[in-house]
Amino acid sequence: MATDTTTVTTTRQPRPSTRAASYDSRTRLFNWICFGVLIVFALIWLVPLAWAIDTSLKPNAETTIVPTTWFIEDPTLDSYRTVLEQGDMYKWLTSSFITSAAVAAGTVVTASMAAYALSRLQFRGRQFVFWLVLAGIMIPTQVLIVPLFREMDVMGLLNTYWAVILPQIPTAIAVFIFKQFFDGLPRELEEAARVDGASPWRVYRTIVIPLSRPVISAVTIFTFIWSWNNLLWPLLVLTNPDLMTVPVGLATVQGTYGIRYADLMASSILGALPLLAVFLLFQRRIVEGIAGTGLKG
Amino acid sequence: MSRQQSPVWRPGMSRRNFLQSVLAVTGGLTVASCGTPLGAGLVGSDVAPGTVDYWDLFGGGDGVRMQQMLDRFREEHPELDLQAVTLAWGNPYYTKLSLATLGDQPPDVAVSHLSRVPTFVAAGLLQELLPEDLERYELTAENFSESSWEGCQIDGKTYAIPLDTHPFVLFYNTDICAEAGLLDGDDQLVPLDSEEALVDALTRAKEVSGEWGAVCSLDADTATNWRIFQSLYSQLGGEVLAEDGTEIVLDDDKALQVLDYLKSLSVDNALMPSSVDYGGAVALFASGKAGFYMQGEWEIATFQTAEMPFSMTLFPNVYGGSDYAVQADLHTLVVPMRSGEDQERTDRALTFIQSLLGQSLTWAEGGHVPAWLPVQESAEYQDLHPQSNYAAAADAAVLDPPAWYSGSGSNFEIVMGSAIATVRAGQAEPDVAIAQMHDDLQVLADTAPPV
Amino acid sequence: MTTQTIAGAGTVAPAPPVQRRRGRGRQALLFLAPFLILYLLFVIGPTIYMLIMSFFDSSLVRPGLGSFTGLGNYIEALSSEDFWSSLWHTIWFTILTTPPLVALAFVFALLADRVGRGRWFFRFAFFVPYLLPSAVMALIWIWIYTPAIGLASDWLTSIGITPPNFLGDPNWAMISVVIATVWWTLGFNFVLYLAGMQDIPRDLYEAASIDGAGPFQQITRITIPMLGRTTTLVAVLQVIASLKIFDQIYLMTTGGPNFSTRTSLLYIYDVSFTDFRTGYGAAVSMLLFVVILIVSFIWLGIVSRQERGV
Repeated sequence: MATDTTTVTTTRQPRPSTRAASYDSRTRLFNWICFGVLIVFALIWLVPLAWAIDTSLKPNAETTIVPTTWFIEDPTLDSYRTVLEQGDMYKWLTSSFITSAAVAAGTVVTASMAAYALSRLQFRGRQFVFWLVLAGIMIPTQVLIVPLFREMDVMGLLNTYWAVILPQIPTAIAVFIFKQFFDGLPRELEEAARVDGASPWRVYRTIVIPLSRPVISAVTIFTFIWSWNNLLWPLLVLTNPDLMTVPVGLATVQGTYGIRYADLMASSILGALPLLAVFLLFQRRIVEGIAGTGLKG
Repeated sequence: MSRQQSPVWRPGMSRRNFLQSVLAVTGGLTVASCGTPLGAGLVGSDVAPGTVDYWDLFGGGDGVRMQQMLDRFREEHPELDLQAVTLAWGNPYYTKLSLATLGDQPPDVAVSHLSRVPTFVAAGLLQELLPEDLERYELTAENFSESSWEGCQIDGKTYAIPLDTHPFVLFYNTDICAEAGLLDGDDQLVPLDSEEALVDALTRAKEVSGEWGAVCSLDADTATNWRIFQSLYSQLGGEVLAEDGTEIVLDDDKALQVLDYLKSLSVDNALMPSSVDYGGAVALFASGKAGFYMQGEWEIATFQTAEMPFSMTLFPNVYGGSDYAVQADLHTLVVPMRSGEDQERTDRALTFIQSLLGQSLTWAEGGHVPAWLPVQESAEYQDLHPQSNYAAAADAAVLDPPAWYSGSGSNFEIVMGSAIATVRAGQAEPDVAIAQMHDDLQVLADTAPPV
Repeated sequence: MTTQTIAGAGTVAPAPPVQRRRGRGRQALLFLAPFLILYLLFVIGPTIYMLIMSFFDSSLVRPGLGSFTGLGNYIEALSSEDFWSSLWHTIWFTILTTPPLVALAFVFALLADRVGRGRWFFRFAFFVPYLLPSAVMALIWIWIYTPAIGLASDWLTSIGITPPNFLGDPNWAMISVVIATVWWTLGFNFVLYLAGMQDIPRDLYEAASIDGAGPFQQITRITIPMLGRTTTLVAVLQVIASLKIFDQIYLMTTGGPNFSTRTSLLYIYDVSFTDFRTGYGAAVSMLLFVVILIVSFIWLGIVSRQERGV
């Protein structure tokens, strides 16, 4: 398709300048309209979050005024102070951080090792394992909540971080992402090392992993984000308020704040900050990661 | 593969040493962190032993009042730490409580509606409270009103300690009622003990208020619809379920009578709105646009804050005659089951419960009828108006019929409430609603109980 | 072993290529073991357990599997009004969210691509909501939808429309959740589309504009076809994700009012963890699983046909 168009171009005469000029202004007008529409929608999109922040900076009494107003008569950080002093947020942040980091680390390690075996090592039953993992992609974890809960109950792991961490580590998709990446790596370096007598483990550790930094960081970041935001499973297994992760905590104890909307919004904003920080730090990686999904189709 | 070929081995570090050091570090961390969230998260240990863990579902005015009582507990018992958690009312609260108990880390004390207790007992989720323990804390039958204490006994064992009864009551705007000629010599509401008397009162109130005779929440509020129906239906002596919910004994004639009457109030005579939600009803009564408001007593705090002229009394005895009945439930305090015999935990729990009951007067100010007899019979409570006006309702309380799918905020209330709402809203005829009740309840009744 | 001694000193066993392959098998096992153990324990195992449990009368509060009921749970589910209505709500949610999330994201990406400048700002504005945990998103929108004092209610009142009870009116609850969902997740598709558009060579557009193609024609003849595969991917990911919806509905309406927003996964949660009926819940989970599988296979079919076409 691209070739055709280019061929056509070279045989065409350039258009007369007057038509080109009016066409240019038409395009420019169109571009300005696009810009305007986009700005309007982008601003609309910013409203909810901005409104939440605005509310969180008001004293609780001001939040119930009608008609609603963006103007804050008495701006204050009291709500944030209340939430932080109440103490739960620290516990939730700790829980979230520990479980998400453990899940991210566990996923990267187990998936990359398994992918390496599938990609580079010959062994009996390789096809079988491959299809077994493929089947896993088809199984949505949400339908497993009932049997998984029973399992955790029997294993005595309810209300521990393990109950949250362990089931989230085996991610079939991660294995595939790593495998696809490894398949694309040139084998010469590895072959050379193998000839020198290096064990597969050594090859994996010293050659393959360093080359896989982009995919490792992408998987780490996405797994961390996804695990942090996971609600359903931690909701079921973490009922001890001291162990709750941020989403579960926010969801469960909404009764405590009742109609103190400023406090409620302050706790929401605090709950959102960590991932916003992740976004600001790793913006490029995140966008590349998403784009990669699309290109791979 | 000899050592010479793999310079990856660091000299002096063997695999066994590495493993040992890992275990040592982990072990040390575990020991050090026992009693912290990290330790609890890793090995399931208690986060802060010696703390009273307490869950309730009290938001709004009740929540504020409970907070006062909790602060008082902290003053009374500085040796104990208190961690109180408030969860959202309804099914989510009970689901989380059962999940926590299954996860073996339930709170030490939890609030539970009495209507939910039998199911929890059948599921093995509550700890039995032994008489010898209860005696030490004076939590015995003679200190509680008979109706509330008896209600908490299951097969002769105590599984719950009653805190209050919260019946369905009638709020009335004293200014509007005075103008409508509905107050007697003591400025109390005249008894409305027949269908005609109630209609008459509402009509007069409507003339004075200019908008509504009475308001009662309807939209998206199955609980209230059930309550107003049940209050009238039980006055007729009707029952809904039998045999632990496996049999439906709905009396169609009595149900029809009640539904026809309710329909006449809202749809036919427009004395009550046929579309209003919980908040809307509160707002209408608070702003003087209705003479009467029908709801549980807990809304007293809202109207006191609004500083409007109101009082409260028993829900009208339309059909009951000498056998007054009204829908109600009880708040009780339970000790969820936890593995291992822990006398300290039981003692902590009972200490806490005893403290709360001692503050029953504070709790009663929130509109509830205290179960704790020393307070209920006290002069201070008798002098509390309008709270003590409807204390008799506690003895006439009709709880939801026992079934595994029943209880406050349960599927039973949702099924019944939805059908009743369609009649009050003018969306369906009473006989259609009754058929719907039968159909939906049959599904629930036919399901094998999971407890 | 025995063979060697009988054969005597003369015959020496050949150098072991066999041994190396066996060794590799063991090495492969070491690489696979961490993943496979967890995978079997927490993915494959539960799936099988779920299948088995669905034929029994299991209860959350009783140990063991309970009594055997055969297909009883499945029959109950398939004849249960609650099951079908929750399935319908799931499908309805999917129908309401997928077109806006695909089309709007596409349009916004198109505009952003055209404008060229300030892309970071638009990416920020549309994508930041995606990073919020569902609980934060839900709290913000519950606040916005609050009757009388919420932003939505106030804005509508100020332009003369009586606001509905967004989350309390059965007719409006689902739509309100849908609006919040679109706000929350559009950013992901936006970034995806934008990246895809930026990959389209500029000379295609230049050539087309020299040919006299206006902006609209450029979009319809170049951009849309070239993003065909991306659109399919976005649409299918959206559909499959919608089938598994739980968070925002649980948080904003708990399936109400009167179960009007209860989706399949919420139904499973209710029957399994509120009603304690895990056997029945497992059967419903299996049925939901089958639905998701069917949709996934349809996707595979579409994608493979697309691949063959290109």
